[in-house]
Amino acid sequence: MAPPSLKMELSDSVQRGLRSLGDESVVDHATFPALVDVCFRSLLSAGRDAGLLEEPELKQVEGVLLKRIHAATTTFILEAVRQNADESTISSCLEDLSFSSERIEILYSCYQKHKKELERLLASIGKQPAHITDVSWRLQYHVKNGVVDKVNEPFYLISLNTENKGSPEDITFTCTMEQLQDMVGKLKDAAKSAEKASQM
Amino acid sequence: MLLVLSEEHKEHLNFLNKVDAAVVGEFGRIALEFIMRGTSPKVYEGAARKLSVPVEVVRHGVEGLMYLMTQSSKHMVPCPLSHITLNVLAEQLNDWSVIKCLCQMYQQHRSEIRSILSLVSTSLPAYHNLEWRLDVQLASRSLRQQVAPTLATKLHLTHGRGSGTEQSCRVLHMDLGTLLHLISILEGALSTLKSTHARRILRNIK
Repeated sequence: MAPPSLKMELSDSVQRGLRSLGDESVVDHATFPALVDVCFRSLLSAGRDAGLLEEPELKQVEGVLLKRIHAATTTFILEAVRQNADESTISSCLEDLSFSSERIEILYSCYQKHKKELERLLASIGKQPAHITDVSWRLQYHVKNGVVDKVNEPFYLISLNTENKGSPEDITFTCTMEQLQDMVGKLKDAAKSAEKASQM
Repeated sequence: MLLVLSEEHKEHLNFLNKVDAAVVGEFGRIALEFIMRGTSPKVYEGAARKLSVPVEVVRHGVEGLMYLMTQSSKHMVPCPLSHITLNVLAEQLNDWSVIKCLCQMYQQHRSEIRSILSLVSTSLPAYHNLEWRLDVQLASRSLRQQVAPTLATKLHLTHGRGSGTEQSCRVLHMDLGTLLHLISILEGALSTLKSTHARRILRNIK
């Protein structure tokens, strides 16, 4: 049995849409590269570019059919990126849907060009735990307070900028110099072992 | 440091002139005990019975001493009976042996009283510990093949001081770029404390 990544599973409607894209009587020679380009761009613009399908280059294809092709193609692209599909997987899949080798090549070169960006996009989807984005600090000198005079101790106010489900939150705490040294020491340990792990 | 006693406070301390030096010593001991472990009204009642005076008088005497000791500790008075305070207190207490005995008690326990006082002051959440773990994300629902290293950290903070201390922890992730950034920023923070500017301020505010 072939490993799952070598076989792209596509629904009937996606297969039908892709067949139309490969069909030279539906999408002519001049329109094909423009349409493929629009599909990639609409994925990367994350829906912000709603007018993409109204571009004059796509006039040749009838409206409803154009939408079907667009939906099928974007689904195919996302599925390919998700599975990290290689050239042979993509070619064999498109050959099955009667694409000409020229069209396969156009689509594949576009795929290669945008793959990294699309991967980043897909990696950002899903639950991400609260994460640190930056840090700010303040050095203060505790001189006195309501109950004790002449305290005279320096301390740091550390504010970790974090982001949780897209909303920012600052975690603020105090620490003495020794505590800050402890924290930095631990972070350095972590950085060192990360470096070691990356060399394996 | 000039310690100014209110008229009411002086009046409360005045009671100490009417009893033996040994009793004043005992009051001083009770005052210290109460500062460190909290008050107990039963002690007042017992002492009042022995001395055959109203409970209030005993309470005022002990609390007067407690207040004197905490205020002196707060301001780091070398000895509450030194300098100008001496006159103020000498007006109140006639017996020199009593004054000396109280002074000794204060000097012995001053740092302890100060540390207790500092527990009362407000405090912000403070760093306690940091645990870390190196993780690599291999896949997710939307992307099957990934190699995304992240550092998972667990930050432990203490809230409050003294008996009300509570601990909390937060799990925070960061990517390795952020980790290196964090290290360099915080190292900058540490070196600032050694700068001429900081050292000058620290030396001069004493």
